[in-house]
Amino acid sequence: MMTDKTSIQLLAIGYHPEIMQVVHRLINSHDGWQGTIAASMDEAAQLLQRNAYDGILLCAGVTEADEAQVRNIAAGTRVIRHYGGGSGLLENEIRMAFDI
Amino acid sequence: MSKYILHKEDSRHHEYNDWLDSKKTFSFGDYYNPKRIHFGALRVFNDDIVKAQKGFGKHPHDNMEIISIPLEGSLIHQDNLGNEEVIRAGEIQVMSTGSGVFHSEYNHETDTATRFLQIWIYPSALNVTPHYGRLTLKDEWFDHRFGTFVAPVASEKAAMIHQDAYLSMGRFSADETFQYTIQQNGNGAYLYVIDGTVEIDGHVLSAGDALGISETAAFDGRVKSGNATLLVVDVPMNIQL
Repeated sequence: MMTDKTSIQLLAIGYHPEIMQVVHRLINSHDGWQGTIAASMDEAAQLLQRNAYDGILLCAGVTEADEAQVRNIAAGTRVIRHYGGGSGLLENEIRMAFDI
Repeated sequence: MSKYILHKEDSRHHEYNDWLDSKKTFSFGDYYNPKRIHFGALRVFNDDIVKAQKGFGKHPHDNMEIISIPLEGSLIHQDNLGNEEVIRAGEIQVMSTGSGVFHSEYNHETDTATRFLQIWIYPSALNVTPHYGRLTLKDEWFDHRFGTFVAPVASEKAAMIHQDAYLSMGRFSADETFQYTIQQNGNGAYLYVIDGTVEIDGHVLSAGDALGISETAAFDGRVKSGNATLLVVDVPMNIQL
């Protein structure tokens, strides 16, 4: 579904600290996009209980079991699997998910 | 009936800066075209020309199978797995980036450009242990036939990647006919013309053109003029993203 949001809040979950630094930088370098990083599923669960996000990015190290848990905790929130590790695919994946 | 997707050379996204001249088949970076995202598990197909001694500095990747094929010149590869290799035309490298890799790729030539194909394929499994491989190609593997040099299982003639995908190349003479058999049920073939002009089921393809072919077990074609060098990326078409 097309979105007219000019601001997108993203929770990026990933277990590779150096890659997640790059992911964080890339998200926040885009006008209107703001990223929060969770380095573990526990941290992600806490953040999801406290905050609303437009989308959740699953990054390095996140397993299919973790993904199922995320979808259970945050039912209704867009879940995006990021491939490539802070690569040229990240912006594409977010734009595709939000149809922008 | 076979299904075709034609990507002509001039339909690629062309961008360049002071060191890189890149033609991107599929959306990448700032280039976003919802109609050009992937062909099955094939996600990136960039034809890059890098100026002498320039290149891609240290940067990360994960969960992607990355194949580099120098067509002219050479690349120097370094990564945090401890690999430092020079890859020349006639050689290839593969990286299963899995749980995470940092690497750099620079043109190793001191005064000439290097042209290489950069191919990314979605992996069949997440977070595998990262792996680097290289392979020297032999001309006889590809003379008047398709020879497979990337496959799900490593061999003397093939580097391994974590996907049911295959890269093959063939070199054919003027007026020669060729046939390619899809290597796995459910796969499709993305045929890229490196050199020459060929015809496949009425589609005339010249250097830089590509044809995605799916829903078939095999296809054949004919070289229309000159000698032809063809690359086939044979990938699963039904992938869950």
